[in-house]
Amino acid sequence: MTTTSEATAGTAVIPKARAGGLEPTLPRRRLPKHDHQPARVRQRELTGGEGLLAAGLTALVLAVLTINITGFPMASDDEGTYLAQAWAVATGKGLAHYTYWYDHPPLAWIQLAALSWIPDVFGVTGPAVTAGRVAMIPVVAACVLLVYLICRRLGMAVWSSSAALLFFGLSPLTVTMYREIYLDSFAVAWMLGALALVLSPRRNLWHYTAAGAATAIAVLSKETMLVTLPAVCVALWQNAARSSTRPWAVGGYTSGLVLVGVFYPLYALLRGELFPGPGHVSLIGAWQFQLANRSGTGSIFTDGSGSHELVESWLFYDPVILVAGLAATVPALFVRRLRPAAVAAVILALVAMRPGGYLPAMYVVQILPFLAIAAAGMLDVAAHRLPARRRWWRPALATVTILLAAVLIGPRWWTGNQRALTAADNAGYTAAAEYLRTSIPDRAGSTVVVDDVLWLDCVEAGFPEQQVIWFYKLDLDPAVAARLPNGWRDVDYLVSTPALRQDPSALPGVRSLLTNSTVEASFGPPDGRIEIRRIDKENP
Amino acid sequence: MILISAVLATFAAVTLWWTMHAWRTPETLAGTRFTEPDGDHRLTFSLLLPARHEQSVLEHTIQRLLRSTHQGYEIIVIVGHDDPETAAVAHRAAENAPGRVLVVTDHNEVKNKPRALNTALPYVRGDVVGVFDAEDQVHPELLEHVDHAFRSTGADVVQGGVQLINFHSSWFSLHNCLEYFFWFRSRLHLHADKGFIPLGGNTVFVRSDVLRGANGWDGTCLAEDCDLGVRLSSRGARVVVAYEASLVTREETPDTLGSLLKQRTRWNQGFLQVLRKGEWRRLPSFGQRLLARYTLLGPFFQAFSGIAIPIGIAAAIFADLPVGIALATFVPVVPMAANIVFQTVGLRDFGKQYDLKIKPVHYARLILGAFPYALVLSVAALRAVWREYTGRRNWELTAHVGAHINNNAEVGTA
Repeated sequence: MTTTSEATAGTAVIPKARAGGLEPTLPRRRLPKHDHQPARVRQRELTGGEGLLAAGLTALVLAVLTINITGFPMASDDEGTYLAQAWAVATGKGLAHYTYWYDHPPLAWIQLAALSWIPDVFGVTGPAVTAGRVAMIPVVAACVLLVYLICRRLGMAVWSSSAALLFFGLSPLTVTMYREIYLDSFAVAWMLGALALVLSPRRNLWHYTAAGAATAIAVLSKETMLVTLPAVCVALWQNAARSSTRPWAVGGYTSGLVLVGVFYPLYALLRGELFPGPGHVSLIGAWQFQLANRSGTGSIFTDGSGSHELVESWLFYDPVILVAGLAATVPALFVRRLRPAAVAAVILALVAMRPGGYLPAMYVVQILPFLAIAAAGMLDVAAHRLPARRRWWRPALATVTILLAAVLIGPRWWTGNQRALTAADNAGYTAAAEYLRTSIPDRAGSTVVVDDVLWLDCVEAGFPEQQVIWFYKLDLDPAVAARLPNGWRDVDYLVSTPALRQDPSALPGVRSLLTNSTVEASFGPPDGRIEIRRIDKENP
Repeated sequence: MILISAVLATFAAVTLWWTMHAWRTPETLAGTRFTEPDGDHRLTFSLLLPARHEQSVLEHTIQRLLRSTHQGYEIIVIVGHDDPETAAVAHRAAENAPGRVLVVTDHNEVKNKPRALNTALPYVRGDVVGVFDAEDQVHPELLEHVDHAFRSTGADVVQGGVQLINFHSSWFSLHNCLEYFFWFRSRLHLHADKGFIPLGGNTVFVRSDVLRGANGWDGTCLAEDCDLGVRLSSRGARVVVAYEASLVTREETPDTLGSLLKQRTRWNQGFLQVLRKGEWRRLPSFGQRLLARYTLLGPFFQAFSGIAIPIGIAAAIFADLPVGIALATFVPVVPMAANIVFQTVGLRDFGKQYDLKIKPVHYARLILGAFPYALVLSVAALRAVWREYTGRRNWELTAHVGAHINNNAEVGTA
């Protein structure tokens, strides 16, 4: 099972033409037989019953994901940023609510903008960010279903594919991270789609081409997804093995990938923002900044570094999927059919472990499905390796596995998901949003400085968009500073949140606002306090 | 502007979709081949070989046809009464192979290929009529495969592959070769599947009774091959296309850009004539009629795209368009660029199948020549429209120098 493809790669099925050979005795040409494919591998189309099973399991996952989606986890600044950018797209104001400076490719929040009608349909109330999370549910549904489909197309059994689905979908880490509005979820959905397409059992040229396009969309949703490209290439290479159409498949995939992907630099080029220059942002300038200037978060192996703390927080939510997944990934690299998922997981893990790099908080979103596939895949492999002669082995192993899972995983997941289903971490934000909406007089004439979580709430509460200032831009965007000729005295309110107070030394403008203001209202627990502060303009 | 882009993109995408038909899945690719013959020779063939001022290549072609492994066939060479040099070659060949080669003289005042073929039709004795050109390199085992294909599929028409081989001669010959490669290797199979097919000019085999029932070829049409295909498929004839690299009939590209232009003008004009004749309206389904219309107008769509897309891009870059619209003008480029990618793969495949060495310079010619070649095709399309509507319907013949034969001899001995 782990051999053959590479060995036969060079042998095209099409016979080389030896025509023009006019020898009197022509050797009888042997026409090649049709492609030989083991029957087991070819039967990967889902049946109706299986579709129901996968849909049912997905519904279970979605139920756990949806209940209390607004209450847990606590809204993060990133979520607010992406949602505000999606709002800018949906209202036709451009690609961002501030100057778009090519920090991330914009496709993910363009998609989010396209999904932004969903919370309204369900009448979700509360701060914009937590309500906006409802729009992520279809994206997660796609991820979960695709995990199942990929497992089946990797040749795994129904039970192990279902296990992968549940392992991925019910892990408290998934439940926590996929509830949030992250670009990574879109990227993962498209990358899983690309993987499913290159594993297409029909090996259709247009599936490969579509896979290329899906890969490009994934990368244009979140650029870091690019590192998993080799995994899709491995899958493509394996699936097109021993077929007469492999060069065409590669050509199709490349076409899709490049021709869709090129639209992003093309957009920059048409706007005159491809190359760095004075007085404007640029795509290449943004890349240079991110590759060279972005300060790292330290090594995950160094105590006290940002990366280390981040990994500890992931382990707090669910050590099982991370440890079991990584443990399964190494042997999975040596199983031919599991190699694509294992390659993706290994690359993502290695990138996370690189010393001194920058590790974003949502990084784990990308690796989770691949870990689940690798873990369930190794179970599948183990089950296949059992000697078939002793009948009682399989039920016995199944029982042991289920018992082990129940004892080791059950309690942790129970607590983790219970917290997800009941916690009310966003009460402070909810109350603050309510206060901004109702209790501040003369909203149309006031200027307010907020974090990005509440930015959209302020705009929707009636503050003019130009006078709702994301605190971060106060010190870093010259266009914003120009709007406030008298500095902090032109600001009327400051909404102080943990994100805003995190690093005051780097942002002097924010610091002076904090010192020259008094608390008008305060919400939330002490460590996550949200204050509405009025600026004391009379101070000297 | 966005609308035009959308239309252009759709045309380009549909064309790409059809061009890549054979390579959709490994199964489709396998289905485009000849099946292995069973060794029986049940049918008899009459091979028509119209020759006009082709004394330099004719003898070689006949000699090669005579090497066929099939038992039952005759070669009918058709020469013009005003062409003694070619007639002399033909008669000499007939003396050397009595019973196999027959010479028919065409006394029509205005000479063209369909009239020559019609002249020979009453002399046909075989079950199946095959058409070849005087410069064709026919594989000895071809007839055996065609015999089997007729019997195993119950077809009325079998179209074999034709391939231009001398891709190294010039930049445009490379593109011309690839066009043939994609047309015979892939696109024609789609047409056969859908029941509407413009046949090729040679290596085409038709049951004699079906051909007589259709009154032979149209002597006034500039694309008699296409016309025959359209008439036969409109009457429900079953057409089978099979392509086998080792069995294709080898031809050469026109030797100058001018003759390529002439040849292409003639085909395009012929397509227009077939469209105007309206035989395709008899096709039973709407989809087939749409395919017919689209195929016969294809060269003109291509010409339009070839001109409109660069203009759109120039406008996007130099005019001050909103960025969204500017991006939209690039959308039709996507299928066209994909086409170039696939052509690159095709060139590699072509080299592998025909044992030809493809060098980097050829890939460069492919990519750099794509746009100029599209321009040439556009000019040919416009010229065809111009000639058709000014009533100039004479036959512009293309000269043959035999470049492919020399090349083949080298390949054959290597």
